[in-house]
Amino acid sequence: MGIPQEAYKAMEDIVGSQYITDDQVIAQAYVGRLGHGKDTGIDLDMNVPPAVIVLPRTTKEVQGILKIAHRYKINYVPASSFWISHCAPKRPDSLLLDLKRMNDLEIDEENMCAICGPGVIFSQLQEEAIKRGMYTTTPGGGSQVSVVANHINWGLSPLNYRNGVPGRRVLGGEWVLPDGELLRIGSMSTTDDPFWGEGPGPDLRGLLRGWIGWFGAMGVVTKLAVKLLPFHDEGLKPVGISPHTTLQFPEKKRIRWYNFVMPTRESLVECMYDIGKAEIAAALTKVPQQWRYIAKAGCREDFWEGWNTDEARNSINNIHICRVMLVGYASEEQLEYEERVLMDIMDSYGAKLGRTRQSDNSWIKNADSATMWMMTGAYTSVQVTVDTVDCGVKGGEGLAREKPAFTPPLMDDYGEPGWFQVSEIGHMGYIEFLQYWDPNPDQENLYKKDEWNYIKVPTLDAEWGMFNAFNIYASPMNLTGKAYGPECRKWFEKVKAEFDPDKLSNDPIPWDVDEYVDKVDWVNKEDYINRDWSKG
Amino acid sequence: MDLKNELQKIVGAGNVLDSPEILEEYSTDNGIYPPGMPTVVVKAGKSEDVAKVINLANKNSTPVIPVSSGVHFQGCTIPYQGGIVLDLSNLNKILEIDPPNRRVRIEPGVTWGQITDELAKENIRVISPLLPHADRSVITDYLEREAPVVPKYEFAEPLMTYEIVWPNGEVFRTGSASVPGYPDSPAKGTNPAGPGLDFYRLPQGAQGTMGVINWANLKLEYLPKINKIFFMPFEDINAAIEPIYKIPRVHIGQEFFLLNHVDLALILAKQWPDDYDRLSDILPSWTLILTISGPPRRPEERIEYEKEALFDLKKQYFQDMPILEALPGVPGGGRELIHMLRKPWPKEEVYWKNRLSGACQSLFFIARPEDAPSFYEKVVDEAPKYGYPLEDLGVYLQPIEQSRVCHLEFNMFYDPDDPIEREKIRIMNRELAQDLLDMGAIFTRPYGDLADMVYEKATSYTTALKRVKKMFDPNNIMNPGRLCF
Repeated sequence: MGIPQEAYKAMEDIVGSQYITDDQVIAQAYVGRLGHGKDTGIDLDMNVPPAVIVLPRTTKEVQGILKIAHRYKINYVPASSFWISHCAPKRPDSLLLDLKRMNDLEIDEENMCAICGPGVIFSQLQEEAIKRGMYTTTPGGGSQVSVVANHINWGLSPLNYRNGVPGRRVLGGEWVLPDGELLRIGSMSTTDDPFWGEGPGPDLRGLLRGWIGWFGAMGVVTKLAVKLLPFHDEGLKPVGISPHTTLQFPEKKRIRWYNFVMPTRESLVECMYDIGKAEIAAALTKVPQQWRYIAKAGCREDFWEGWNTDEARNSINNIHICRVMLVGYASEEQLEYEERVLMDIMDSYGAKLGRTRQSDNSWIKNADSATMWMMTGAYTSVQVTVDTVDCGVKGGEGLAREKPAFTPPLMDDYGEPGWFQVSEIGHMGYIEFLQYWDPNPDQENLYKKDEWNYIKVPTLDAEWGMFNAFNIYASPMNLTGKAYGPECRKWFEKVKAEFDPDKLSNDPIPWDVDEYVDKVDWVNKEDYINRDWSKG
Repeated sequence: MDLKNELQKIVGAGNVLDSPEILEEYSTDNGIYPPGMPTVVVKAGKSEDVAKVINLANKNSTPVIPVSSGVHFQGCTIPYQGGIVLDLSNLNKILEIDPPNRRVRIEPGVTWGQITDELAKENIRVISPLLPHADRSVITDYLEREAPVVPKYEFAEPLMTYEIVWPNGEVFRTGSASVPGYPDSPAKGTNPAGPGLDFYRLPQGAQGTMGVINWANLKLEYLPKINKIFFMPFEDINAAIEPIYKIPRVHIGQEFFLLNHVDLALILAKQWPDDYDRLSDILPSWTLILTISGPPRRPEERIEYEKEALFDLKKQYFQDMPILEALPGVPGGGRELIHMLRKPWPKEEVYWKNRLSGACQSLFFIARPEDAPSFYEKVVDEAPKYGYPLEDLGVYLQPIEQSRVCHLEFNMFYDPDDPIEREKIRIMNRELAQDLLDMGAIFTRPYGDLADMVYEKATSYTTALKRVKKMFDPNNIMNPGRLCF
């Protein structure tokens, strides 16, 4: 059926005929290339091609499009770099706003921020920032993802050790509300300058993002300033031929990697606390064993050759690697000082310093979780805890104990308790618990990967008192939305009812998991709908 | 309904106060704004009382004005529409000190005086604003966006999570403290984001209009044992701007800020008023102050490389700028400032901002450091028109987030017992604010007279804010008349 012809024509008048289409061949491409969440139950059963794709260039064009959508009651999905499965419509006859043309980038060097359109990607921003002695944190989604989307959703990076999750770095900007009205946030509320995040009085950034954001269910952010962070001034030199490129560290001792083999997992956790307290380092993370095997492998077969061995199986509980980056922000002397402190700490735990290349293949500019698909062809993170390091590690160990009941269809990772790192210089820890599966639909009990993801992990989180950042978009509101806050779901409902009463902005998010599990036969909905979640 | 009777049932008869003397005491604050009489004062004895009082008030559409301590300067606790003053000063427990996770969980009545001493026993601290009043609430200061005096961290938000009573009486925990079973849970409440929305941002800067905090988790940092202080004097504020940008950007230093001679003399004077008179004459027009401190591990080595980096910057960018380890003519060279900065202003002494004339009106906002000189020039041009002596104008510039931005504050001193002078300062404050707003000053904390002018300019923000407020406070009971509500 598509959208009404009058609506199509009105939008065509706004953007020009070359920037709008209802060609269903093109539309099909907008569901087939998603990253995180691909091949999950929701992706397979709910995502549908858009009826129309429109590519606006300016805030004013976005306002016009949303007002038309509002008038004709058209469901719309805003998306910029299509990294996540929420970027595809879940309703028929939807409009997709492809924001890639909105890629204006302005760097405010003196006041360390970048003013970005939603089409600006990390590769573009990081290149410009490093040239000016600053950096941003390229998230796990990769250098090709949108800076705006990843700041208002999740966008966590291994480089968040010093600066926290990117939501802390959202500044002023322009936000087109679901009905097409423009809201200017932060310092843009009273000026044209977006350099500061707080507006007068209560901070409406609180509505913009949350645990992980709205995924386009609250209109479109068309311009956003994000903080940049000071880096050393020696720069990083790209070398190699694509795809085998790397950033060469400078000769001067201004940035260095250190890989330590720790005697136990406990010592790995303890040393992270100590490093944070000493206020040294620029990045600090555990290296999961799978990453090592992925890094060594040139293809999927290589990986399985290495992984299907006793050495790999035993490595989970016997090899604990702590990877540290030091940066001499002030001078080589700073790095030398931090190196001495680091060695003091690591010596006290009996850690052994291993070899590592003094270049960066993935953290600073090219964060690349595409290799996560190398092993089985399907992957998602099910647990993303941000609280203390200790909390994250306990959660990961607990999930590792429960996961065998869902393996297969999940890949056997030999009890890997997850990847963890530190953020805000030790005030917070972060753990990501991953799952991989073969997306072949002919497998027996394939639904169990969704049961694990959508129901089991969120239930365990609530029962254990864990804080899983991904649950809001990967579990039923009737479960997580009741358990946390408590009853944070009520505020979602109120906000949506106030600002998008017709539910046109990327419906049914964030209630898509409720809708999905309502239709499947492998969930006893009464178990969680009627449960008193306030006590977990 | 007998409001007093109902309140007594919640908090006990002794905690419901309505004698004329008490009501008068709560009708005013330490600032320029006129009084307003509450109907009744309720002293909450435990956090459960807060939800019950707010529930009752919400049912009866009675205003509630939360008051966390007895020290308020900007008029935002004056009850202009009557109602219940909810005094939280007895909610003053330090609930948890968690050194491994570097957090402390406290109630809203906990003051800077109380927490600083307690944490110092374990060589830890909450980074404070510049010399806060000893009796000010720690939570209120950071809810109200006071700028931390240490700009070295990439983030400027010491508050992490809290338990809030929304205006409808519902109790809610923010961030990772929202987990079921908190605080007896693995999650300890160190992550501010979520659950769902970034709720932690909504009560910030809200002047008590979005609910009442029962407790909050704040970040802890180590309390340095070995320190050095450096003074960089300037005669012209323009010359201070480049060092302000450059120094924190290389990750050196702890406390770092710029004061003019008036504010610095007010802080350093020991014998009043002789020391002040002498110091305000001999101090440079502007002094940029930097402390360099040693962390628990290898402290001397840290100080050494940071000091070297400071002097390298000087050599590279501002060779003419003196870097002094003592201020000439100041007893002890002003070095005691290091220790003063790690504590609130001594309780037994008149608060530093009140020393000159008895009271102070601070006009402050967020700005780019590079714009500070033009804001300063504007105030210097305008102040004499109100008969305000420039020699009594205090100025404080606090870099934030490695000097990405700054908090710029003009301190105007007056006699609180002189109604004419008080009114003059009020007019001057309002009109200067309008001028500065027109120049691009960012008023994120529009107190009193400033609210109307700021919200008139922030049209789309104001509209959205009112919609949000309506969701959380449909009867507009929380501190009505503030901001745009």
